[in-house]
Amino acid sequence: MSTEAIPAEKPKRNYNALFGLTLLALLVLLWVILSLSTSSFASANNISNLLRQGSMIAILAVGQTFVIITGGIDLSVGAVVGFATVIAAMLINAGIPVFLAIAITLLVGVAIGLFHGFGIVKMGLPPFIITLATLTSLRGIGLLMTNGNSISINNDAFQEFSRNSILGVPNLFWMVILVGIPAYIFLHHSRWGRYLFSVGSNAEASRLSGVNVQRTIYMAYTLSGLCAAFVGVLLASRIGIGNPTQAEGWELQAIASSVIGGTSLFGAVGSVHGPLLGAFILATINNGANLLNVNAFWQRIITGVLIIVIVYFDGLRRRGGK
Amino acid sequence: MTSTAQDLHPAPVLEPGRTILELRGLEKKYPGTHALKPVTLAFKSGEIHAIVGENGAGKSTLIKLLTGVMPRTSGDVIWEGKPAPLATPHEAMALGINAVHQEVVLCRHLTVAANMFLGEENSRFGILQQRAMVKEAQKIIDDLGFDLPAHVMLGDLTIGQQQLIAAARATVRGTKFLIFDEPTAYLTRKEADQLFTLIRRLKSEGVTIIYISHRMEEVFELADRVSVLRDGTLVGTRNIAETNDAELVKLMINRSIEQVYHKEHFTPGSVIVETRNLSGKGFENVSMTVRAGEIVGLYGLIGAGRSEFVTTLYGRHRKSAGQILWEGKPVQVNSEHDAIKLGMALAPESRRDQGLCLNLPVGLNLNLPIYKRISKNMLISGAQEKTQADRQIADLRIKTPTRNALASSLSGGNQQKIVIGKWLAHGAKLFIFDEPTVGVDVGTKAEIYRLFGALLSKGAGIILISSYLPEVYELADTLHVFRRGKLVATHGFRTADHEEILTQALAEKQEKLGGKI
Repeated sequence: MSTEAIPAEKPKRNYNALFGLTLLALLVLLWVILSLSTSSFASANNISNLLRQGSMIAILAVGQTFVIITGGIDLSVGAVVGFATVIAAMLINAGIPVFLAIAITLLVGVAIGLFHGFGIVKMGLPPFIITLATLTSLRGIGLLMTNGNSISINNDAFQEFSRNSILGVPNLFWMVILVGIPAYIFLHHSRWGRYLFSVGSNAEASRLSGVNVQRTIYMAYTLSGLCAAFVGVLLASRIGIGNPTQAEGWELQAIASSVIGGTSLFGAVGSVHGPLLGAFILATINNGANLLNVNAFWQRIITGVLIIVIVYFDGLRRRGGK
Repeated sequence: MTSTAQDLHPAPVLEPGRTILELRGLEKKYPGTHALKPVTLAFKSGEIHAIVGENGAGKSTLIKLLTGVMPRTSGDVIWEGKPAPLATPHEAMALGINAVHQEVVLCRHLTVAANMFLGEENSRFGILQQRAMVKEAQKIIDDLGFDLPAHVMLGDLTIGQQQLIAAARATVRGTKFLIFDEPTAYLTRKEADQLFTLIRRLKSEGVTIIYISHRMEEVFELADRVSVLRDGTLVGTRNIAETNDAELVKLMINRSIEQVYHKEHFTPGSVIVETRNLSGKGFENVSMTVRAGEIVGLYGLIGAGRSEFVTTLYGRHRKSAGQILWEGKPVQVNSEHDAIKLGMALAPESRRDQGLCLNLPVGLNLNLPIYKRISKNMLISGAQEKTQADRQIADLRIKTPTRNALASSLSGGNQQKIVIGKWLAHGAKLFIFDEPTVGVDVGTKAEIYRLFGALLSKGAGIILISSYLPEVYELADTLHVFRRGKLVATHGFRTADHEEILTQALAEKQEKLGGKI
């Protein structure tokens, strides 16, 4: 390593760490305030509950972030979650072994992602349009398959999973770690991750530099579809039913988490830890508002205002830093 | 005071020779860089004042301060005797300060007329008076002597023609102080002449012109005075009659360069690539060879089909006919990937659109073609990523605080070095440079030319596209002239004179402007 590289390294590291810390500090601050102002927040029960609530959006947000980094958007993830609960429920009820059922459900998510890639790369459709189309049609397909009814899952072990904990940490939160660590390595330490950024920054320049732009786009949407199907499996386990209308609006929460976590909707800016923190900040706000008996209608307004405030200050910080 | 022919033009009534704008200790600091050290300078009304300097010398910063795009750190700007805060672009425009930028910043999807009046539309009861605006715009354009239609979409014009519209736009707003930032970078000679006519006419109307260019001959052709910036410092102002090329270059780079066009001759080796009757979109029937150790220059006007030819060779576009032979064997180049695998590298024409991921770090840009090589089991080697990037930064003397700085924060010349540098680590047998020195200063130019020599000495071949004749003339071992998509003439090193080559590139009278793209 050259001598020049050592001082050069510092500012960037500090800078990144600082941003991670700002969000983390915000999360801790929220927790401290809620612990002091309510009696029930700091209870083990509530914390587990909070982690469970945040986990699913957190996983969705990671997949969403991959897509947003390429300069795209995936509006279908909420519908994919609902659809995946139906697939998982049907397969399990049909007597297929749980692990096989899960694997098939995940493959369905991959297939949906590949379809998005096909629409964008081969048909030239804007990501917004193709994923919007999937959002509405997947809900319809799911309703056709179930005749509009919920399917109760007859498998206790499957449902136990989401209720149990290991080492006092809810299984659902372990799933965030299971997704988060490979996602982090993929995004920040593999060349595919670098290509996501470069395609989001300038697809033509990447292409002329030998990057396979089409494959990169396929990859981003496939991963997002995979994450969404995985969340569908977790949700099916948690609520014990397959229902295509579940997870309404989760795509927006995933996008909000990603953006709160510092992802730029213009592409080429984002991380894995940012959206995870973003998702748990949103979950904390909802949880806290419930405990404080804030009217549910107000909760939505507060969430909206907070998104504006956090992203505004993030923008200020970025502009100031450059 | 002096009353002259200006009386004919009632518009901006300005006496020539009076100080219109004065800089007093104007200074700009960015975090980490002192972009402009206190500058004190007075501009007179009705003068053409050229500003020259290397990339990163502070020219762009000065423009940004004068046009209100960025706030200054300290110092004063005195406009017609009164201090002007110049806090916003709007305020600068209200005073009569306007700028025409190198890259056209207008709306491609609006008509020429709509662009001319953008922000100051004619309307009656809130309804746009479209026909009236087109008529008025056409009158202004005709009046300026540009042969361009006002009703077409701006995007349907060539870049050069768009530049003329941008200049025309700036003149209709009561402009008293007009800044041109490298206006001729993308212009043909005829377009440049039209622009010069416009500039001289504005001068005769008492408008002060700031003219920024890397092209010395333009500075000497147009300017009354010239100021030189180096490393953010104003190192001198000269009357144009009392200075010369050599003195300015010396002021700019603080060392005399015996020869900008550094040329090394090698005995050409075996043929690397050959095209036989290659045709595609924008060019037809092009046959040529590139040998190891040889620079093949492609000269022509912008739009002559040279870029289309090399991008097709590189697999970006499909060929419609003909053959490509790589080291004697026929090959299919269906994608950029195929080309890179064979051993081609392309430094494309537009840094902004094709060359760089601007909002990503310098290091990532440099490593983009070689991530496969510096990865092991899917994971990138962090150490190699660092050393590779740092080596290119050091070897090419890319001026950047760290490899983590964003590519957009670098000056044009340093950005160009990244575009070239990313292929040096990758290695290639055939390097294609498309306009590598547009918007690049003299010092960086010399460095790039020296780099050509280094590549040739290692047995590589180079295709050099340039619209700047002295460049290809002095560097190319074989010079091909393109005109309207065809290869029309071929010369050896310095075997023809400029005039002959220029005539071949222009041929019959140039097509009418505005006619075709």
